Amino acid sequence: MVKLLIIEDDEAAAGSLKRGLAEAGYAVELAHDGERGLQQAQAGDHDLWVIDIMLPGRDGLSVLKALRDQGRRTPALILSALGKVDDRVEGLRVGGDDYVVKPYAFDELLARIEALLRRVRSFGSGPETMLELADLKMDLLSRSVTRGGQEIDLQPREFRLLEYLMRHAGQVVTRTMLLENVWEYFFDPQTNVVDVHISRLRQKIDKSFATPLLHTVRGRGYILRPEA
Amino acid sequence: MFGVWLSLVLLLCLLGGVAGFWWLQRRRQQQKEALLRRQLVSVTQSSRQTGDNIAHDLRTPLTRLRADVEDALRHDDSEMHRATLERVLDEIQNMQNIVNALLALSQAEAGVMRVRKKTVDLSGLLEELIELYIPSAEERQLTLQGRIAPNLNIEADRQLLARIFANLFDNELKYVPAGGTILLTALASGPHVEIRVEDDGPGIPVEMRDKIFERFARLDPSRTLSGGSGLGLSLVKAFAQLLQGEVRVVESSLGGAAFILTLPASAAEVSKPSP
Repeated sequence: MVKLLIIEDDEAAAGSLKRGLAEAGYAVELAHDGERGLQQAQAGDHDLWVIDIMLPGRDGLSVLKALRDQGRRTPALILSALGKVDDRVEGLRVGGDDYVVKPYAFDELLARIEALLRRVRSFGSGPETMLELADLKMDLLSRSVTRGGQEIDLQPREFRLLEYLMRHAGQVVTRTMLLENVWEYFFDPQTNVVDVHISRLRQKIDKSFATPLLHTVRGRGYILRPEA
Repeated sequence: MFGVWLSLVLLLCLLGGVAGFWWLQRRRQQQKEALLRRQLVSVTQSSRQTGDNIAHDLRTPLTRLRADVEDALRHDDSEMHRATLERVLDEIQNMQNIVNALLALSQAEAGVMRVRKKTVDLSGLLEELIELYIPSAEERQLTLQGRIAPNLNIEADRQLLARIFANLFDNELKYVPAGGTILLTALASGPHVEIRVEDDGPGIPVEMRDKIFERFARLDPSRTLSGGSGLGLSLVKAFAQLLQGEVRVVESSLGGAAFILTLPASAAEVSKPSP
């Protein structure tokens, strides 16, 4: 079972987070302040840490920095209530792997935890040159995509979008994750820009084929997978 | 005797001088105070207006939330409860957008938002943003076009720049009626770059052209045309100022509104367009 440590001082928030993550199949341990969080992280063999920045006593960034200084490489997701561009940069600089602003949607946090865990699992398998999902194939060297042997013509951005979806196949990705990773924008526009790009991509990869691969998960985001 | 008189006269002159100086200083001080008072009154009035708007924009969703939850509690219907919870969540998201935008605005205006300036390929960034928004524009039967001079490099914060144009485009997509055209033009203009976002929509009346940058200002006084935080253009202005630029709105030659953003870019930083 995948083990998560959540360092979060708001007990109500930590409690619902723990319930949600337990229902998603994770074993969850809680710590309510920085010092105890640091001790639990050092003592345990967690697969991922979720660390709130604003903690009583020792703040989250200093906890993470201490852990990184000890050579611990466990992936860490940082939670912040501030949401300045600065905090994100600072959080990633001290060794955070991803950053979510409070108040977050549980689904957003879950999707990002899954993406981080997957990144760790695929680490070390060497650079890929080919991505495949059912009869959809992406050649990263020749920058070409085929489905059922049929060439699909994609714009450069559509290629990056599909590449990200294929690297996270079988997993929900949110609009914010797509904006951050495909377009490198760290804010959410008020217009449904991502949805429209997705529907264009869907036209290209799904329209003339019997089984759709790109699915909308209502209220959560998108998922690329062979079954509906 | 004469010496005594002289000293007395000198002393009186000195006292008169001091008194005159004191009186002048006091007058200046009073004028300054009066000016400050007038400024304070105007700030208070505008912040009261802002306060009213904030209260209105937060109370409206709160009223809806409350009515919706009370209604659900009067019934014992789990399907209805579920639908209510979904609406409540949407409403919370709206309020969250308003609060986040207000926070960004106050950080920007107080100057505590750190600006990470780097050389930004503005031409490339604008092309990218147009590419991001074209499908959404087309979905609304709008034409979005760019006429961007090549190789415009400026010292700025890429995320802030992108947020400025995303807010301007969000605004255009909301207010330009179907069939309309949105045009972005960017060119070097002496020590500045000038970027215009204009349209052939209904335009903005002269008396509203300063007001639209205020918090929660909307052209529609009944404020029913919602969607968005009502803070987009205030953010545009605050972010432009953070980048030592400015934004204003004039009438576009296309017939609608033209937002003109001027940002500094020293001559050395604007490389010559390639032949």
